[in-house]
Amino acid sequence: MKKKMAFAAALLAATVLGGVANAKTLVYCSEGSPEGFDPGLYTAGTTFDASSRTVYNRLVEFKHGSTELEPGLAESWTISDDGLEYTFKLRQGVKFQTTDFFTPTREFNADDVIYSFERQLKADNPWNKYVAGASWEYSAGMGFPDLIKGIEKVDDHTVKFVLNHPEAPFMADLGMDFASILSKEYADKLAADGKMEQMNQQPLGTGPFTFVAYQPDAAIRYKANDSYWNGKPKIDDLVFAITTDASVRRQKLEAGECQIYPYPNAADVQALKDNKDLNVEEQAGLNVAYLAYNTLVAPFDKAEVRRALNEAINKKAIVDAVFEGQAQVAKNPIPPTMWSYNNDVKDDEYNPDAAKAALEKAGVKDLKMKIWAMPVSRPYMLNARRAAELMQADLAKVGVTAEIVSYEWAEYLKRSSDKDRDGAVILGWTGDNGDPDNFLDTLLGCTAVGGNNRAQWCNKEFDDLVKKAKQTSDQAERAKLYEQAQVVFKKEAPWATIDHSTVFMPMSKKVTGYTQDPLGIHRFDNVDIAE
Amino acid sequence: MADTTAKTASSLDEMSPRRRQLAEFWFYFSENKGAVIGLWFVLALIIVAVLAPLIAPHEPYQQYRDAVLVPPVWQDGGRWEFLLGTDAVGRDILSRLLFGARYSLFIGIVVTAIALVAGILIGVVAGYFRGWVDTVIMRLMDIILAFPSLLLALTLVAVLGPGLDNAMIAIALVYQPHFVRLTRAAVMSEKTRDYVIAARVAGAGPLRLMFRTILPNCMAPLIVQATLSFSNAILDAAALGFLGMGAQPPTPEWGTMLAEAREFILRAWWVVTLPGLAILITVLAINVMGDGLRDALDPKMKRS
Repeated sequence: MKKKMAFAAALLAATVLGGVANAKTLVYCSEGSPEGFDPGLYTAGTTFDASSRTVYNRLVEFKHGSTELEPGLAESWTISDDGLEYTFKLRQGVKFQTTDFFTPTREFNADDVIYSFERQLKADNPWNKYVAGASWEYSAGMGFPDLIKGIEKVDDHTVKFVLNHPEAPFMADLGMDFASILSKEYADKLAADGKMEQMNQQPLGTGPFTFVAYQPDAAIRYKANDSYWNGKPKIDDLVFAITTDASVRRQKLEAGECQIYPYPNAADVQALKDNKDLNVEEQAGLNVAYLAYNTLVAPFDKAEVRRALNEAINKKAIVDAVFEGQAQVAKNPIPPTMWSYNNDVKDDEYNPDAAKAALEKAGVKDLKMKIWAMPVSRPYMLNARRAAELMQADLAKVGVTAEIVSYEWAEYLKRSSDKDRDGAVILGWTGDNGDPDNFLDTLLGCTAVGGNNRAQWCNKEFDDLVKKAKQTSDQAERAKLYEQAQVVFKKEAPWATIDHSTVFMPMSKKVTGYTQDPLGIHRFDNVDIAE
Repeated sequence: MADTTAKTASSLDEMSPRRRQLAEFWFYFSENKGAVIGLWFVLALIIVAVLAPLIAPHEPYQQYRDAVLVPPVWQDGGRWEFLLGTDAVGRDILSRLLFGARYSLFIGIVVTAIALVAGILIGVVAGYFRGWVDTVIMRLMDIILAFPSLLLALTLVAVLGPGLDNAMIAIALVYQPHFVRLTRAAVMSEKTRDYVIAARVAGAGPLRLMFRTILPNCMAPLIVQATLSFSNAILDAAALGFLGMGAQPPTPEWGTMLAEAREFILRAWWVVTLPGLAILITVLAINVMGDGLRDALDPKMKRS
């Protein structure tokens, strides 16, 4: 009897120990809860990290740590000479994940591609409104409903996209999160069961990790996809431990509760670097922070007033106080690591006297304005309130009284896009696909007025240049057009460009193979962790 | 001890009634050492608040861009011109704390005054008239009391828009039911007393009865509640400021200062700790003082 017990105990110990030794778990202290798990519906990087970059794949993928494209679910593609037809040869033998809520019976094919896009493009698609208030913001913002004439299934493994007009950034767009490929078979089953909303709660795709469970505001669990077409990930389990406070994230990393976390406080970076057990990777972010004037409201409709205000703001002080110097002062609306960056543009110099004189000359006296400060920390602007306070003090020196206002984040984004908004808005942008179009047209084009164009700025000269560049396929020629556009931007000054920040990623020394991504996304398929 | 009591009691006999009342009050109040310390601290705070522009070494809004996050003077790297160090944009923390005392006292006074006046008016009406007026008022107050106070204040500010004025209105609204309930209860118990009946027989109208005859006899619990509300109001305003819904930057309000400095808790302790300590000590002092007030004013606590 006694012997038997001992044997049982030994067996138990062996299984427990064995389990620990075999399973490699990576815990990532993520910065917030995802809005949902259908990447087409949302725009936040936090959501994409938890859905499109773990569970799903796209036709083309960005290479790790770069903005270059590589084949994803499409093995190869051809573009017709007029730039209107894109034909994709799909990868064969790709399996969808098997989970306890769904077992796929067929492999990935053309139907899945067509389903994934049509639900976003056609209002009569049954999946177009499957979540209340679904707006497919990204695909609408990229102009996809007008751009794509149709998607044809040539055969089971060939798909053809037909466009209405040539669009140079189209391939890069397909690498973006909203273009993730979902399973039509899973969708059909959910529709048959009357549980369509589950698509946004229990994701299932072809990606490197399989979704296991989500506890709201606490944790998301994934396990490695054993049959991943690009090779099984090196770790077995991936956990997103949701931790909204950056100081707490640091504590958790130092205590070993997680192995890697994003967006450290600028004040913590030096101490993290000094810690022998940690690695801090850094990379110039593909981002920009700006103060957007409302160019539709007097006196900000005059370029000379905006330029004078730009001269009054000491951007170096903001970089020092908010980023502890770990950012660079911005002069153009696109970051310097991006192609077509115009280094010949001269920045407005910090010069309160000249600013004061210029304001007087423009006939602006006793100007009162509002500065909108974002309530959250983003990689391009860690502390907007502090930046706003610095601006407020700078503006006071030239006789401008500024009041700082702020709203809850979703409300802030909504209200700041109103055309009759009162005041200048601090906001920023991290590139989604590495194309200058994603900054210049998305943030400053005429079509984005009332939306992403927070300056409500529609300048014919600028818009023509950007629109022309969009329809040109030769990159050198596009670069030239974008360089001219930046000159126009600086002359008209719809924004005060503030900074391009450096993005830090602290992690345990045990973590290997992590590459920082210029697009601000976090991917763990190549990551390994030492015992 | 017995000796001093006897002496005080004998000297009390020779005073005018009002002065005698005051002396008696002070006697019981000063029994409680903590309360006396609290009182001195509150008095000091009032002086600091009034004299802030004279004693503060710097302007509270002045940003010294060459002196960002300078530690307090006793630490390595501290500078004598910034005794308690500077914050993330180079403002002197001591000056901001001194000016912050103004805001905190102002918030306390305004909130308590609004809540007290409104609460007394409504409470006396409810307690005096009873009947359906009472029922309607008390159910309304019950509804307000059913919400956690900070949550309700937060909701109100979200509707009214963030800012110090709106925060004060919201907090006053949340606190006023406490005064209504207290006043009503006191009025109800006083109303049947002989002296009230006597006044009514003598021909006093309802207004005179309510506010001249009954109300002065209900003041003791109200004063205690007012001091407690005073400290709670400071605390709630700080909490609203911390959540970004109260005073807006660059106002040197303590809660707002705390919120702005949160990220430095490991790197620069003084930016976070000092405003926190200021709130803690102030609230503690007022509460301890309130405790002493209750001991001195509540007849049930008196040893005869």
